[in-house]
Amino acid sequence: MIVLQNLTKKFGSFAAVDNLSLMVPQGEFFGFLGPNGAGKTTTIKMMTGLFTPTSGSIVINGFDVQKNALEAKASVGYIPDQPFLYDKLTGREFLYYIGGLFNMPKKKIQEQTAQLIEHFDIGDWVDKRTEEYSQGMRQRVTITAAFLHEPKTIIIDEPMVGLDPRSARIVKDSLKQKSKEGVSIFMSTHSLEMVEELCDRIGIIKDGKLIFLDSRENLHHHKSKYDGKLESVFLELTK
Amino acid sequence: MTFSLSAQSLIKNVGSFVVFGSFAVGAFFFSRFLTAYLLEDVKIGLFLFHRFMSMLLFVFFVTISLGNMVVSFSTLYRSPEVHFMLTKPIPHLTIFIIKFLDNFFYSSGTLFLAGFSVLLGYGSYFGFPWHFYLLMMLGVLVPFMFLAGCTAVLILLVLMKLASRVSFKMLIALLVLFYVAQIYFYFHVTSPIDLVRQVMQYYPNVNLYFGQLDPPVSNYLPNFWISQILFFYATGKESAVVGYCALLILSSAAAFIALVLAGDRLFYSTWITSLTFRSFSIKKFEFTGTLFSFQKQSRFSPQHESILKKEYWQFLREPSQWIHLVVMLFLVFTFLSSVTSMDFGLQDPKLRTAVFLVVYIFDAFLITSIALRFAFPMMSLEGDAYWTIRSSPLRASKVYWTKFAVVLVLLAIPGLALAVLSNVPYIRLSPLPQVTTAGMGFIAFALVSLNFGLGSYFVNYDEKNPIRIASSQGATLTFLLCIVFLVLLVIVFFFPILAVFNSIYYEIPRRNSWLYYALAVIGVLSAVVGVVSHVIGVKALARDV
Repeated sequence: MIVLQNLTKKFGSFAAVDNLSLMVPQGEFFGFLGPNGAGKTTTIKMMTGLFTPTSGSIVINGFDVQKNALEAKASVGYIPDQPFLYDKLTGREFLYYIGGLFNMPKKKIQEQTAQLIEHFDIGDWVDKRTEEYSQGMRQRVTITAAFLHEPKTIIIDEPMVGLDPRSARIVKDSLKQKSKEGVSIFMSTHSLEMVEELCDRIGIIKDGKLIFLDSRENLHHHKSKYDGKLESVFLELTK
Repeated sequence: MTFSLSAQSLIKNVGSFVVFGSFAVGAFFFSRFLTAYLLEDVKIGLFLFHRFMSMLLFVFFVTISLGNMVVSFSTLYRSPEVHFMLTKPIPHLTIFIIKFLDNFFYSSGTLFLAGFSVLLGYGSYFGFPWHFYLLMMLGVLVPFMFLAGCTAVLILLVLMKLASRVSFKMLIALLVLFYVAQIYFYFHVTSPIDLVRQVMQYYPNVNLYFGQLDPPVSNYLPNFWISQILFFYATGKESAVVGYCALLILSSAAAFIALVLAGDRLFYSTWITSLTFRSFSIKKFEFTGTLFSFQKQSRFSPQHESILKKEYWQFLREPSQWIHLVVMLFLVFTFLSSVTSMDFGLQDPKLRTAVFLVVYIFDAFLITSIALRFAFPMMSLEGDAYWTIRSSPLRASKVYWTKFAVVLVLLAIPGLALAVLSNVPYIRLSPLPQVTTAGMGFIAFALVSLNFGLGSYFVNYDEKNPIRIASSQGATLTFLLCIVFLVLLVIVFFFPILAVFNSIYYEIPRRNSWLYYALAVIGVLSAVVGVVSHVIGVKALARDV
């Protein structure tokens, strides 16, 4: 479960995230939309501990991210928008490295990496150094790493960047499966089709403020006011 | 310097100005004091004084050359910026010249400041007029450093051309051999110990010109030309200066022209060649079955193991890192092997103190250089992948202390080795060797802490080149603070060590307690430096990524 309470992040006098409050119950697949510069990535970075909020709180699986950061982060799998890796490590070594950071026993890391490498179909190149990887290959390794420690919550910022259709399908199916297993998923994306396909609830942020929050079922009512497309709803709300 | 109106950057820039300014003032007074000390107290004479300067300038030249070569390799052949520029309709030669000059001035700023301050101190002792400094700056220092930079990049271009035909490993080995051989043969030919003995035979007439004692090969070396310029200026024979100045300026101009011609011909083809280089290691590592494989169990906790193994593989698989470390350590031990057999046969306590302190501080300076090059960039080298640490259930301070422990052990070992071996000629003067060796342990801790802590404060995750990180404004500031620390060491140790040599010369009881007090002061100073550096460094980790 994720609870954001009056979350604000200011850079100087500019409020990138302004008094944002929302809750993502356990097992929900939440889609987080917004135009460029709306505050999506800033919100996610606060949730994952990369940014310190100016005010407000973030509670993930019962742990406050600022007060009990280690406990909160231990249950989160994070997939950043830019999949930067350590260039001199192979993909497999990177996975072992991540497993170690999450205090996983060696045997468990071995089992999980073997299973996930097969699942995400990265076995052909996982033993090459990441400096040789394309954007899509890096993204797939990053996604694999996020699944490694079987997190209760997955936070994703633009998961489909650089992925070919086959890989995108695998990732979507994996996320859907995780959601069914009770994992909360908080996903920021520009892909409206993906949001419609996967998400239980959708939030739209603009200029740091939440301007829309509703379930996928109710989305149909909103779409019917326009031309039946989510894109039109989005463009109208964010203009 | 970069300028911004925010309070933090204003403080940073004002702080930089104060530190740079203090360093310049310190270098001025140190240079003036040392000149006066060697000429008036120790009375080595103008000829010997300038020949020692020539030797220091030779080492300076080789250092600038090697440094420029390593930095230029990274900038010209590994830089994403050059990669980007080559895709644009910009002539290759333009890119080459711009990056060369950018590199040269980026890494030479502090050296210019230091060189000019030392020149001012030296010149103020002799009471030289204002045009001396203008001549020295524009007609001597700048061409000298420029010549070193041009030579380095010329050699680099030739090496890169040969690399397409010969094994890169072989070339690196030959290059290292070449530089080591250069230094060996220079000191073998110039033989400073023999020179001192030959000149001192004419004591007290040591201000004469003993040109017949200079080996013929010296006439072709730019460091010799500078020492001749300064000697003739100091002895009032300014007409003899013009020729050497012209030689220096013409040589640097010729080197630059040669560089431009070589760059035009070789830069692009060698850049294409560099794309085919694969990272190579000292032996072929297989993923399984190797000592520090991620798959192998270790005694460390999972988090410590991950951090340590990641550091190990990131370092070992980056040739510019471990090659540079090997070269620096090789130079350190080359120096060590010379210093242990050095016996000037000196009796004068002040001279013996000066020699002891010069060697001791040079040991510390070597540690500073290695710490700046490897400890300072450590946090920055996490790079954009730092998100893995900040988003995992791991305190950033754990990463900090683990990395610090690694670099401290790696640098403390050569530091202590330097201290032990430098004390071989003084083995019978207990407790001098023991105290100064223990002191070096404290000093190594302080220097590594300062570099690592401030490297964390001045962290730059966007810069992937460790050499450019180690040449940044923050690194320069850190280096200057290290120099200030070294100056304090000299002040603390001077009188206790002089007391030891005085006791031998004048056959009076030795005051060993002074040595122990000095050690205690250094211990406290080092602890303070360490604590302050680490507080600053750890706090900086909490910043937004």
